[in-house]
Amino acid sequence: MHLHFIESGPALLVEQDRRVLVVADLHMGIESGLERHGVHITSRSAARTARVVACIEETEPDLLLLLGDVKHNVPVTSRQEYRELPGILEVFRDRVPLAVAPGNHDGGIGRFLEPGELLPPGGAVIDGVGYLHGHTRPDPGLFGRLVVLGHHHPVVSLVDAVGCAARARPAYLYSGLEGGCEAETPPGSRTRLLFVPAFNEFAGGIDVGRLPESGLGPLSRCIDKKTAEVFLADGTYVGSPATLYPADGR
Amino acid sequence: MARTSAPRPRSIPQTAGELLSPAVREVVRKRGFTTLSEAQEQAIPLLLQGKNLVLVAPTGTGKTESAMLPVFDRLCATPGPGFKAIYITPLRSLNRDILARMEWWCRELGLSAGVRHGDTPQNERRKQALNPPDLLITTPESLQALFMGKRLREHLKNVRYVVVDEIHELADSKRGAQLAVALERLAAYTRGFQRIGLSATVGNPDEIGRFLCGARAFSLVEVPVASHLEIGVRFAGEDFAAQTRAVGECLDAPGSTLVFVNTRVTAEALGHELYPRGDVEVHHGSLSRDVRVEAEERFRNGEIRTLIATSSMELGIDIGHIEHVIQFGSPRQVSRLVQRVGRAGHQLDAVSRGTVLAMGFDDLLESLVIARRAKANECERIVPPAGAADVLANQVAAIAVEYGEIEVSRVREIVERSGVFAGCGSLLDAVCRQMAEHRLIRLDGTRIVRTGRARRYLIENLSMIHDERKMEIFDIVSRRTVGTLDESFVLGWMHTGAVFITKGQLWQVLEIEGGRITVEPAARARGEVPSWEGEQIPVPFAVAREVGALRRTRAFSRYSDIPAAIRYAERFIARMDGGHYPVPSDRLITLEETDEGVVCNVCGGHKANEALARALSVLLSARYGTTVGIEVGAYRFLLRLPPTVRSLEVEETLATLEPAHLPGVLKLALKRTALFKWKLVQVAKKFGAIDADADYERFSIHRLIDLFDETVIAAEAYRELFSNSMDVDAAQEILLAVRDGRIAVTTGRLSPLGSEGLSSSRDMIPPPLVDQAVIGTLVRRLEKEDVILFCMHCRKWKSRTVVERVPDRPQCPLCNARLIAALKPWDEQFIPAMRKKEKTEEERAVEVRFLRNANIVLSSGKKAVTALAAKGVGPEAASRVLATLAEGDAFYREILKAERNYVKTHRFW
Repeated sequence: MHLHFIESGPALLVEQDRRVLVVADLHMGIESGLERHGVHITSRSAARTARVVACIEETEPDLLLLLGDVKHNVPVTSRQEYRELPGILEVFRDRVPLAVAPGNHDGGIGRFLEPGELLPPGGAVIDGVGYLHGHTRPDPGLFGRLVVLGHHHPVVSLVDAVGCAARARPAYLYSGLEGGCEAETPPGSRTRLLFVPAFNEFAGGIDVGRLPESGLGPLSRCIDKKTAEVFLADGTYVGSPATLYPADGR
Repeated sequence: MARTSAPRPRSIPQTAGELLSPAVREVVRKRGFTTLSEAQEQAIPLLLQGKNLVLVAPTGTGKTESAMLPVFDRLCATPGPGFKAIYITPLRSLNRDILARMEWWCRELGLSAGVRHGDTPQNERRKQALNPPDLLITTPESLQALFMGKRLREHLKNVRYVVVDEIHELADSKRGAQLAVALERLAAYTRGFQRIGLSATVGNPDEIGRFLCGARAFSLVEVPVASHLEIGVRFAGEDFAAQTRAVGECLDAPGSTLVFVNTRVTAEALGHELYPRGDVEVHHGSLSRDVRVEAEERFRNGEIRTLIATSSMELGIDIGHIEHVIQFGSPRQVSRLVQRVGRAGHQLDAVSRGTVLAMGFDDLLESLVIARRAKANECERIVPPAGAADVLANQVAAIAVEYGEIEVSRVREIVERSGVFAGCGSLLDAVCRQMAEHRLIRLDGTRIVRTGRARRYLIENLSMIHDERKMEIFDIVSRRTVGTLDESFVLGWMHTGAVFITKGQLWQVLEIEGGRITVEPAARARGEVPSWEGEQIPVPFAVAREVGALRRTRAFSRYSDIPAAIRYAERFIARMDGGHYPVPSDRLITLEETDEGVVCNVCGGHKANEALARALSVLLSARYGTTVGIEVGAYRFLLRLPPTVRSLEVEETLATLEPAHLPGVLKLALKRTALFKWKLVQVAKKFGAIDADADYERFSIHRLIDLFDETVIAAEAYRELFSNSMDVDAAQEILLAVRDGRIAVTTGRLSPLGSEGLSSSRDMIPPPLVDQAVIGTLVRRLEKEDVILFCMHCRKWKSRTVVERVPDRPQCPLCNARLIAALKPWDEQFIPAMRKKEKTEEERAVEVRFLRNANIVLSSGKKAVTALAAKGVGPEAASRVLATLAEGDAFYREILKAERNYVKTHRFW
């Protein structure tokens, strides 16, 4: 199995028998959410959709898997979303078959989807790889595999020689499960987690160093900090959270 | 325009008073005025002729009456409803003071007066709406609010006179620009009105006139202030105890004293030391209104003899007679000194006496220079902000709310009549387009249409003052609040993991939530991010340059006749000479090396130095791929640099910086700074793109900020920073002088003068390529990577270490061979097999791999060890990296490429 890190997303192409393009946390409709919080910008959905299309054209996948939080506003679906989502999904469908792992922002997403596109909330195994948005406990069938998750919006901030922290950037966190969490893993296999960064350009992020304590999803608590590895959006390996955030002499 | 600045002889037959109506003359007599002041004599006839007028005169020369006597005269003659005269001051406290004075006159003359500002109670406002006073005293912001009410708008139609008091305080700010447009909006309503501006001494009073009147004609009356001033400069010692003693001695003299300090912190510290005397109170903007008013009253009543104040007391608030003004530390600007000392001797024609207590070498020379310039009447020029896009947006929104629907061309007519937006050209269109983007207005062909949110926006943005929400900084370790930061600053700069400095300590951001920044002390980070603790009074270029000249000529006795001060200055210079340190001056820049970086001694003043420091830092950061920290003062700036970049590199960068390129370089420099983002958020708020109370915490605000790039919002942020925070012209002048040799540049070690300290802003300029941080991270990771060194020659020696401890040419201590394999920890298991005679096929394959590894180390040394420590990089990949012969960053970039390749193609997931 090969993973291709698509920097312009950030998105991930999982290549095995099939080519699955994973796009997590699109948060379409975030602008109307921002509006409610006092930030007034015009909809950027078209540009975001174009970015997804560019990723599709670059990778020519067999399946586009939207890994949850396709839409933004909860509990009610905003007018912006009613207006924009059907068209956006149609743009995707025109190019590639579509699947959606429902996220916590996706209440009522079903109405915008066609039969067979919506995956179960506990996650699904496609081509041997588990996919899950990440706000719920995974289906037992996902254990013992590579599990690709969204929901956590991992970012990393790197520090240069003078000690100036550069602005946090999207990152992937890859790790095994810590002790207790391994219970459900079938003997002879190993569960690996790959936390995928958010595609939405405005979604804030959780620093990879703080992900385990964030309590954001049930699996964030299972991260094995000792073996965890951090990658940038283009697949650059930057180290483990332990080397990125030394104890600072405290 | 008629200029009548020369004092007129008093003996002309008809005095101005005789031009007033008998009723007004009677009241003047009743008030006890026997003669009119110079200002009144000159201003009243012009005003009675209906001329627009700028009156420049020192505080306490009856400026208010100069303006109001003719206005009263006319008001008595024109009965009718509505507001007829509007009196605008920059401060509420000043409003109250003016009202107290005006009420007496109005009562005597049968006129009504009212005050309206933020503190005015609701019932009072209602009364004004139903029954408007003839004279309304207000602030620029409350004037904005008057346009919003239907009934109040009706009353505005009758305005015939507008007086702007302390106009110099407003003219160079966005508040003033907003007021200038408001006056044009008012003009569009009325049949026109007479404009009267009252100003303290400024370098360019004509500009004040254009600010007030736009292209309309105006007269100018100037009463020179210098002849009324008596200013002494004393040296008060270098430590705070000596300085407070010096203040105490001054206070022992008879009469009342006003002590001016430059910051609130100093006011508090000085107050604390002097309270035991029992006759001292403190007065500054952070104190509650009640406390301030009480202090003013006690001073006026003679209960206390001393008031310690910040600039809050500069304006004409009447606190009774002041015998003497003390300026604690350099006043930094000539106009400040003139204004502050002018508070003393509050009777007409009396001399104002002031003493500057200087505190160190820089401070003393600066004080001497400023005192000389004050006596020579060389005040700073006022530069009204021209084309401030956020002010324009604010006023377009206000006009849209006022009219509901209006042609763009009509809006253009209104705003272009003001001096600050004359010929604003395409700016108005750009502003309207941007506003439409935020749905603050709607554009319907050639018309501007009000939207639902415009009114709410306007209520929240009546003022152009950035009324910042403060965010609390909470230390999670000690579980206490350690301070506050401006919200815009937090928005533009702070993020999880950011390190910043406040209260002299380093902090790392853990979380930003609920209006609170959770931090923990950061022990190790070497960088600093600024803490913006209010804006300081900048020392202008002209003053700093003259200080430089004084350092060069050492003509201290021409500036001072106080032996102690001269002696101190001479001794300080002697210390420089004794250590063979060249003395930086108006003709010499010295670059001095310290452990932290390079101190650049430039007599440029805060704003020119800010421009130079930022330009140099961005160039150095690009050239050497490192973050450069800056700290800026009026006479020097520190470039915080890594040990590899020294004064020679700075000198070269300075010498090659083309003056004409400076603005471009600065634009580049600013883009990545905290300062720019801070300003950008402020402007975006005034543009209505971000609400004043926006809850941005769950969003990636810096990405939102990126959206404003290339828009009129970003252009305004640059414009404001270029004109307010920096003096680009002066910086260019300095660079030009360096070019043609009028200013020499030397390098050397840190001198006593260079270590005098910095007192102003700090910032960090990160390098342009973000991958610096990635490479930095890689370098640090590889240095700490475990490595096993194993001699493939004798196959006996084995050593476990980390990459950074490996010597440049690893050698076996047992057999002296250099055929050393650099192995990953898990290769250790194969080492016993390497010592066997008989090997399995598998073991022979490992042996081949180890030999190839050792051969690379043999030919490339530590570089090979470093490459071999990278993730998934074996001998083949390592030789490919080494074959590129790349050095430094390029070498590490090759390693990153090899790692990425491994992750993509060979990695098992």
